[in-house]
Amino acid sequence: MFLLKYLLTSFAVANAFMSTPSQKTLTPSRTFGSQIEQRISQVRKHATRASTSLAMKYTLVLVRHGESTWNKANLFTGWADVPLSEKGVEEATAGGKLLAEEGFTFDVAYTSTLKRAIKTLWIILEEMDLMYIPIVNTWRLNERHYGALQGLNKQETVDKYGKEQVLIWRRSYDIPPPELEKDNEHYPGKDPRYADVAEEDLPLAESLKLTEDRFMVDWEKTLVPEIKSGKKILIAAHGNTLRALVKHLDGISEDDITGLNIPTGIPLVYELDEDLQPIPHSDAIAPLSGRYLGNQEEVKARIGAVVAQTK
Amino acid sequence: MTSITSKTSELPFANLLKACMAPAAEGPYTLVLIRHGESEWNVENKFTGWYDCPLSPKGVEEVIQAGKLLKEEGIKPDVAYTSLLQRAIKTLNHVQEETGTMWIPVTRAWQLNERHYGGLTGLDKVKTVEKHGEEQVLIWRRSYDIPPPPATADSPYHPANDPKYANLNFPEEFTETLKTTLDRVLPYYESKIVPDLKDGKVVVIAAHGNSLRALVKHLDGIDEETIPNLNIPTGVPLIYQLDGNMNVIPSEQAIAPLRGHYLGDQDEVRARIEGVANQTKK
Repeated sequence: MFLLKYLLTSFAVANAFMSTPSQKTLTPSRTFGSQIEQRISQVRKHATRASTSLAMKYTLVLVRHGESTWNKANLFTGWADVPLSEKGVEEATAGGKLLAEEGFTFDVAYTSTLKRAIKTLWIILEEMDLMYIPIVNTWRLNERHYGALQGLNKQETVDKYGKEQVLIWRRSYDIPPPELEKDNEHYPGKDPRYADVAEEDLPLAESLKLTEDRFMVDWEKTLVPEIKSGKKILIAAHGNTLRALVKHLDGISEDDITGLNIPTGIPLVYELDEDLQPIPHSDAIAPLSGRYLGNQEEVKARIGAVVAQTK
Repeated sequence: MTSITSKTSELPFANLLKACMAPAAEGPYTLVLIRHGESEWNVENKFTGWYDCPLSPKGVEEVIQAGKLLKEEGIKPDVAYTSLLQRAIKTLNHVQEETGTMWIPVTRAWQLNERHYGGLTGLDKVKTVEKHGEEQVLIWRRSYDIPPPPATADSPYHPANDPKYANLNFPEEFTETLKTTLDRVLPYYESKIVPDLKDGKVVVIAAHGNSLRALVKHLDGIDEETIPNLNIPTGVPLIYQLDGNMNVIPSEQAIAPLRGHYLGDQDEVRARIEGVANQTKK
């Protein structure tokens, strides 16, 4: 075992001294060498964890899309299909670079039908040289639908309805915002991308609970089997669908999940055992057991930033 | 209820029967072909094939413009197909972005890849002419079925050494001609793409010079002598309307021997068609 590790390490060291071809050149030795390096760092990290080395391990990476033009303008977005801001594009690029640097690879990617998540995913896959993997778009990964509040300014809504009411709509677990009318431009029934969705499934407004309910259908039916088949999956999605997912993975309470902030554009890595239970990482920030990539101080600061939007 | 004044030759159920037997959507069906924009290796004038080089900045502009043209024309794809090569995928991404269709299902298929250039992959086109002579290079480039020298299993350009093709098996000595490219493009088109068209979906295919040559050869019945020299300009949408039997409805704006038509300024398009021919001239 130690001999093997020695051989692997010396190979990696030798490889590190070879000149590094440009990112876009795919040579067998570079791919093989970086796979060896990734494996060594995985083996090392594995040794610091409580699980047995024989446990089947799956890697699942989540990333929340970067800042959108409506995030920037402080508007409630929901299912409104707005693009990333320039900053959001930068965030996605940085997220992609982090994943590439740490030697991640994926077999398939899942995302919503909203362009801010799709673009984030496209940018990340380009940074990782993985544009060829299949992408699955599902409405069940869409952001929580914000009903009649979609398009309204968050601060103005506070001024109008009071801080408490808005806080309830934003952060209650199961109280949805006011519903929109079916003749409203934001009604999903008017959008061809939802043509195949049953009318009773189309939301007029959603709470986090309702978002979770409709996302978990996809988790159980599609994502779990995919993960268990050994495919490495990247999910590029939204604040509330990712809340729904980590709530499930980490058993977070209804009270705690509504206040949990998932910073935009920073890859969140989960290692799961054979039962899809998360294996806690030493860099995890409670209540999550997954770890964010990148500078940890910056990550902690970014987690704080999302709260400030309705102060 | 048929009124008593209807013709006796018309059975009451005739129209109902006709409606039951009609296909789901009768056409015309819309198929959009687009060759990826200028790539970095186009700029460097190298044989590319399956090498996965990115678009050049000019290529990116070309395909953004292509997307805008489609949008102006009111063409909104419902489903898309592309290759495993990023220059085509990126082309498609821009088209989707401009036409507001980023959410549509996209299938990435190796069968739509550019023709593999075997052992010529990565070589400079002009230098190859200097080495082997213009005629030989012209044969390799533009013959219908004479293969370039193969890439061997230890070459970085052999698909066995590329994770994209990890689940596929290719011969140890691998190279392609326009003919062999067609042999893998057409069955794919028939089995995957035609059903989508028959469903009434607007299909966009973002692919490569030779994989699109294969398609238009089939669509327009172009012969083996003509097709290798047919130039499909980069980044210009090429629109086909097909009838219920998947036959091309010739367009009035078509530039022979194609029966589909290019979008955009037609003089510019003709100039671009000439331009591709000049890559081995000094």
